Order: sequence, then structure tokens, then C-alpha cells
Amino acid sequence: MASNLSDINIQPYSGEKARLSRTFDYLILVLAFFLFIGAFHLHVALTVGDWDFWQDWKDRQWWPLVTPLMMITFPAAVQSLLWQHFRLPLGATLCISCLLIGTWITRIFAYHYWNFFPVNMVLPSTMLPSALVLDVILMLTNSVTYTAILGGSAFALLFYPSNWPIFGMFHETIEMGGSQLTVADLFGFQYIRAGMPEYLRIIERGTLRTYGQVATPLSAFFSAMLCTLMYSLWWNIGRWLATVRYLKNI
Amino acid sequence: MLKNQTRRLLIWLLFWTGLLTNLPVAYAHGEKALEPFIRTRTIQWFDVQWSEPNVSVNDEVVVTGKFHVAEDWPVSVPKPDASFLNISVPGPVMIRTERYLNGQPWVNSVALQPGADYDFKVVLKARFPGRFHIHPFFNLKDAGPVMGPGQWINIGGNAADFTNRITTLNGDVIDMESYGLVNGAIWHGLWFAIGLGWLLWWVRHPLFLPRYKLMAAGREDILVTNQDRTLAKVILVAVPVIVLSASAITQSRHPNSIPLQTALDRIEPLAQEVNTLVKVKVSKAEYRVSARSMILTAEIRNNSLSPIRIGEFSTAGLRFLNSDIEMPMPKAADPLTINDSLHVSDKTPIAPGETRTLTFDATDANWKNEKLDGLINDSDSRLGGLLFFYGEDGSRLIASISAAVLPRFN
Repeated sequence: MASNLSDINIQPYSGEKARLSRTFDYLILVLAFFLFIGAFHLHVALTVGDWDFWQDWKDRQWWPLVTPLMMITFPAAVQSLLWQHFRLPLGATLCISCLLIGTWITRIFAYHYWNFFPVNMVLPSTMLPSALVLDVILMLTNSVTYTAILGGSAFALLFYPSNWPIFGMFHETIEMGGSQLTVADLFGFQYIRAGMPEYLRIIERGTLRTYGQVATPLSAFFSAMLCTLMYSLWWNIGRWLATVRYLKNI
Repeated sequence: MLKNQTRRLLIWLLFWTGLLTNLPVAYAHGEKALEPFIRTRTIQWFDVQWSEPNVSVNDEVVVTGKFHVAEDWPVSVPKPDASFLNISVPGPVMIRTERYLNGQPWVNSVALQPGADYDFKVVLKARFPGRFHIHPFFNLKDAGPVMGPGQWINIGGNAADFTNRITTLNGDVIDMESYGLVNGAIWHGLWFAIGLGWLLWWVRHPLFLPRYKLMAAGREDILVTNQDRTLAKVILVAVPVIVLSASAITQSRHPNSIPLQTALDRIEPLAQEVNTLVKVKVSKAEYRVSARSMILTAEIRNNSLSPIRIGEFSTAGLRFLNSDIEMPMPKAADPLTINDSLHVSDKTPIAPGETRTLTFDATDANWKNEKLDGLINDSDSRLGGLLFFYGEDGSRLIASISAAVLPRFN
């Protein structure tokens, strides 16, 4: 097999056509970049929301459940388009990279400079390790079913350990008023949010309790199961809603 | 033609510039947004005081006060099983370093008991220079924010001088303003670099049109090379190895880390201060729309040992004062504390043991300005508030009252 497209025999374009085709590539990439920064960022802000915004929302039950489940959506749909029609295994990494660029811009300019929150209080979580694994599983298996099961599961299961090196230190204990808190809890108490009383936090609630006092793996495996379903759903949403009909005329 | 267009453009530019430069600055915190029956019949604030309002960055501001939880709690508002005393500030221009309810340290939310009294203290530390209007207020779960009296705070100095160092249980001193930021940025940067590398690996080749044509020609086999597969396999192994190793190392570095804390605080009410030696039963309440006047008729029984007179009616942050009575006044002028706005029909003191029916009116335009007159259009038209009585010896008795309000339009 040829190592890249310029070496292969079936090269549909050459000369000026090849240059125009490359310009078209960059045009689409730039548009996709801004589209995913805006659309995916909005989707995550509306669905994951506070779990991603604040240190004192990143609990061991709901955060690892909700975040991968809501963040596998756009990657699955974009993978569907890019893999089926172009054999490009980069949909997940592209979406998550754009999301993170948008998220960092927001955290620094909106949360820090505009609303005075320290950046470390609003550090975003990362899903890039999960996205990379999702992309390579799709490429290596060339199967939606395997990618949904293996890739979707890996996407969820890698989330918490990917983020623990960033957020573990915020779970160090401090003493406040005679009881122990995490540093993350202290952020929520000290840095005043008028619209975010403590009771609004959806942390450690519900019937998804611990198993032998270990909560996170239970949430992560539950999230893995849901992610396989969510991946399939959004793959098909991508398949139904994305079209390449205009390329046929070129 | 061009001249006309230029002129039109100039006029529009002037119009929008004038409009934007004359926009009023908003200082409010939505304190008038909640329905009056919630603002007057849930948290009834009194004796709220502020320390020095002119401070520098790193200085402390202390807010103290008391509140009564109304007995006549609105049926449409969930009971205060989770309530959080907050401070309305435009972002954390101040941080909250300590908070106490009835003298007990208070971190999380708490269940309040209708009919009970509480006192509070909040210690703030100035963080960002500016002039800010600040209120204590209660976030009531499923009801909304009930504002307490506000105060202007002027913060001078330099924001860069702010420090917030705390000591962990391990004995480490950390700076809350920067703790973990560099570490987080490094990890994000690392994964972003790897992700960018993967994207560039594919973007370096022609992308959409050639690949689409090749797919259509049935040559998908040449679109993913052996080199691509080798790189993918490396990623498939390396990424989980890095993730799991880094996670294990982090865990070993922070062996005593704990989950986020979520318990509600449990704090008992104070000894009763409201509704003790004076009993008030409101038999009639009318709101005169044109006069902005609330007229109340009430049967008052004085069970204290001293003759008493009505000195103040307080509701939803408005304080109607009876100028006939000498009482402690706030240090600074407050537009919501209105002198000579409470008028009582019978000025003679109510003797100990006596029961008397009195009519009094609380009259001021602030009924409208504070959007409390909306009560007569609400689904729940009952009004609540605190009635303050003063004895000749300077003693003070407080009664929490409530009544259905009838509007009068002339």
C-alpha cells in the first residue's frame, strides 16, 4: 500500500485541481473548527453544565456518568460522516479539541476576567485521551458495532483516570468549622456564586450508591454501558442528517 | 444619493451611540423579582448590621443580623428544608471566609424551622477593588432568593495584592488563587499536543475531495495505510497506559483525598425573640392603591410588664418607622428605612395585660417602587411582616404578623 495519497495510482486531481481541492480542505476545516467550538461547546454547557464548570461539582458519581455520556454525542455523529465517506478517523479528536479550545476561552475570559473566578476553580475536564482511543478503535475495527461497544466503553472508562491527575489534588482535606472539607468544597464556600447555593449541587445523590464503598467504578461502568447506546444513536443521527450529495457534482 | 445615504448612516450612528452611552447602570440583584407573598412571608430580616463599609483589598467586612422564619409560610413555596445564606455580589469580588448560624460554624445548607428565630454572622474578605452593593440573602430550595437589607461597600487597593492561603490537614499551605492551575494546564497541554499530532497526521494529506472520490471508486483500502495502523496501535496502547499510570501516581501522592462533602448542617433555632410577650392578630388589611398605603387593624395583647407602643413595621426589606417613638436608628441613611411612615390611630401605650384593637397604616411610595403592591394581583394575596413594639424602658418586643390583603382603588 502506498504511504500517502500523493504516491498512489488513483489520484483524481492534479495541478490546479489538486490545489483547489486542498484549498477546499482548509476551508472546510476552518468552518468545522468554528462550528464545533460553538455548537459542541453550547451542547456541553447545556447538558454537562455545572459538572464541568466548577471544582465543587466534580463528584465521583454523577460527573463520570454525565460527562462522557453527553460528550460522546458530537464525536459519534462526526465520526459517522468522516469515516463513512472519507475514511478519516479523526471525528472524536477534532470535536473534543474544538470543545476544549472553546471551553478554555470561556473559562479565562468569561469566568475569570469577566466574573472574577480564579481559573483553577473552573478548570475544565479533558476527554482527549478518550477521544483518541475512540478514533483509533473505529479505524482499527472499521465497525460501528465494535466501536460502539469497545470504543464507547473505553470513552467512559478512561474519563475519570484521565482527569484524576488534574483534579485529585483538589480533594485534599482541610478543616473548616470543625468538619473536614475538600479544597474543591472550600472553593464553593469561599468564592461566592449568588446563583449557585450549595444545595443545588447534584453530587452523590440518588440510588446509584457505592459498591463496597467504592463509587466511581460503578458510575464509570454504568456510563460505559450508556455510552455504547449513545454512540450508536448519535452515529445514526450523523448518518441521517449529514449529506455529501454536493460532492457528487464536483 | 450617496450624500443621503451617508447622512442616514450618520444619524443612525449618532442614535445608537447616544442610546448606548446613556444606558443606566444596573445595580439591582433581582430582589424585586420574586412575588411579594414570598418576600414578606418567608425570611423576615431584622437587626442587620455591617462593619466598616470602606475597606481595602484583604480587609474583612462582617455582616451580622437576625431573621425570623415566618409561621404563615406560603403553601406554594416548599418548606425550607435546604436553605443557604448567600451574599449577592457581582462575582467573587469578596470571598466568604467564615459563616455562623446561631454561633455555630455553618458551611453547607441547613433546614430552617418556620416560626423560629436565628442570628447569623458572615465574614467576608475584600478581593477586588470597586464599589459594590451587597446584600445577605437566602437561597430557598425550589423557591428562589429572598433578599435582606443591602449596603454599599467601597473596596480600595490593588487586586494583585489579594492573598488567600489556607493550610490543609496535611499541614501544606496552599494558595487558593493558583493551587493546581499549572498542573492542570500542563495536563491539558499534553493531551492537546497529542490530539493535535493525531489531527495533523491526517490533515497533512489531501482530505475531502480526493478521499471521497477514492471511496466512490471502491479504493478505500488505500486510504488507511500500514503506517496509520501502526500509529493507531501505539495510541491504543500508550494512551491507556499513560492515563492509568498517571492516575495511580496521583492517587499515591494524595492518599488521604476524600470525596466532595455534601451533608446538610443541622443547627437548632435560638431562644424565641419574636412572638413572645406580645400577641398580635390582624383582623383586616387593606391596601389603598392611590395612597400607597397599607392599613392594618389588629388586636394586640401586651403580656409584658411594661407599657408598649408600635414603633416599626418591617416587611421585605422596607422599614416603616413611627416618628413618635424613640428607637435605635441605622448608622447610615437607607432609602428603604422611612421615617414618619407608620401612623397609629391611638398613641397611648398599651398597658401590661391589656388587649386593644388598633388601626395603623404604613404609607410610602416604596410599596410601589419595591414592587410590593403586586401582592393584590398575586395568586396568594397575604402579606407578612414584623411589628416592633417599644416599651417606655427602651425594651423591644417583636410580633410576626400576616393577613389577607384587600385592595382599595380610591
